[in-house]
Amino acid sequence: MIEIEAQPWRQMVEHARATYPNECCGAMLGRIEDGNKRVVVAMALENASAGPQAARYELRPEDLLAADREARRHNMDLVGIYHSHPDCGAYFSETDLKNSCPWYSFVVLSIQKGEFDHANSWLPNPEQTKAEKEELKHA
Amino acid sequence: MAKVLIPTPLRQYADKNDTVELGGTTVGEILGKLTSQYQDLRRQLYSDEGKLRSFVNVYINDEDIRYLKKEATPVKEGDTISIVPSIAGGAPVVEAPAQTATLSKEEILRYSRHLIMPEVGMEGQLKLKSAKVLMIGAGGLGAPLGMYLAAAGVGRIGIVDFDVVDFTNLQRQVIHGTSDVGRKKLDSAADTMHEINPYVQIDKHETALSSENALDLFKDYDIIVDGTDNFPTRYLVNDACVLTGKPNVYGSIFRFEGQATVFAYQGGPCYRCLYPEPPPPGLVPSCAEGGVLGILPGTIGLIQATETVKLILGKGEPLVGRLLLYDALAMRFRELKLRKNPECPVCGAHPTVTKLIDYQQFCGIPQHEPAPAPGVAEGEIDPVEVKAKIDRGDRFVLIDVREPHEYQICSIPSAKLIPLGELPKRVNELNSADEIVAHCKSGMRSAKAVEFLKQAGFKKVKNMKGGILAWSDKVDPRVPKY
Repeated sequence: MIEIEAQPWRQMVEHARATYPNECCGAMLGRIEDGNKRVVVAMALENASAGPQAARYELRPEDLLAADREARRHNMDLVGIYHSHPDCGAYFSETDLKNSCPWYSFVVLSIQKGEFDHANSWLPNPEQTKAEKEELKHA
Repeated sequence: MAKVLIPTPLRQYADKNDTVELGGTTVGEILGKLTSQYQDLRRQLYSDEGKLRSFVNVYINDEDIRYLKKEATPVKEGDTISIVPSIAGGAPVVEAPAQTATLSKEEILRYSRHLIMPEVGMEGQLKLKSAKVLMIGAGGLGAPLGMYLAAAGVGRIGIVDFDVVDFTNLQRQVIHGTSDVGRKKLDSAADTMHEINPYVQIDKHETALSSENALDLFKDYDIIVDGTDNFPTRYLVNDACVLTGKPNVYGSIFRFEGQATVFAYQGGPCYRCLYPEPPPPGLVPSCAEGGVLGILPGTIGLIQATETVKLILGKGEPLVGRLLLYDALAMRFRELKLRKNPECPVCGAHPTVTKLIDYQQFCGIPQHEPAPAPGVAEGEIDPVEVKAKIDRGDRFVLIDVREPHEYQICSIPSAKLIPLGELPKRVNELNSADEIVAHCKSGMRSAKAVEFLKQAGFKKVKNMKGGILAWSDKVDPRVPKY
């Protein structure tokens, strides 16, 4: 289960709306207690994808490294990655799966016509062949 | 000992440690020790074939080991090794264009040697067909590029050029032939490319690339290939690529040497990370001034074409963060590592260049060259007058300040050869009491020679206007122009 606190959730939704019609992406920092993830801070990261970003995002490893360091400094963990799907459902696409990593929760926010619609969290497997839906709680 | 930082989700496989200290001389050795100590971690980092999983990046301190010696990267005491995943994704609509493209029976036959390679195959060939590439220039680099990109089946190729084919182009610009002299390079190049492959679309942009039109031109293409040979355009192409998020496949050539790399690709360095400032005007000669081995742009242009095709296919290791240097005389390739400059004015964290600027001014080139004064200015002499002086038997010294290899191409019989660079040490061969006329190819270098001699105390020195080219036009048409 992943639970996102009110403030980071507002920031994530705002980030996704502001970046529409392009995809946004970022990191979620927080704590893991008894296998449950609690997101305390949302960190917007640059979409580094070359070319049109309406249906593509890419995180720079350097930025992820920086996010991980930031988490360590505040005694937190990097627990997940979020990105938006403009005018498209919050499922884990083939592209998402092929470029995923099994270590984190992947929260996808569906933005329809510029407004937040729904969100899901996904846990991909190491072979990048499928992703399991994770229970998501947000404000 | 080196520190290995374990990312949060992997700590459960490493006895909950966030850091593990291990000894070893290479990254591979340390990762080997780590994963034999923690067997469960191994499955997370390595595939069944024993290769690092595609999403695993390893950093030593702040450097990605892919850009060092990969797993053979040496490790020093106190280094920090980090494991960082690579993550990307997106909604599926991006795949749609490739789905709509199909190949006809004729195209399948034409591309059969691509289609039977697993790295290209039908999927790759359709990517090529859906790709849109913009070439800046249809000259030395553009010639092999245009021909091979068309042959490879790149579906849409734009060319920006406003020049006309002339005889001096034919030594290297193999996309144009002798019968094309006088035609627009755009027309000549497009004809050749369509002759090679009629299935590709060619967009002819007859214009000089400028700050006003660059963003508009770039927006319809996926990849920009820079085949220009002047600094203002190089900076313009670079900045426009960074601003529009398109990769800049770069090449440059001079005499026997060339360079190539891919700038501004997915967070990699840009041209300004390498050269934040342009060289002073005139310091680096162009091909027209310095010459170029005709074959050289073939080699460099084809490296650009190869990188372009790799980017389209998404295969192999792109030439990003690496500057490839080619020395034709030694027949050697070398690689320099390029780093992204975090303070880069255009692609850094806090860019100061956020829109296109005046690149002529940035490179110190005056916007409007002062028009040459009509007639003969003070300190200048017309070639016809020089001929008259020779015929009258006037007492004067004619010096030719060109290089010996230029003197071998053509010369004026009574001229004494003193190359501009040797003038300071050979000035004692001249007498300040004599009247002196200096000439070169077109009058630029001899103007510098006249300036130098005047400062050295010579009063009666003149520059032959227009150089030996004007001599050929006005005095003796048998003298070849080069």
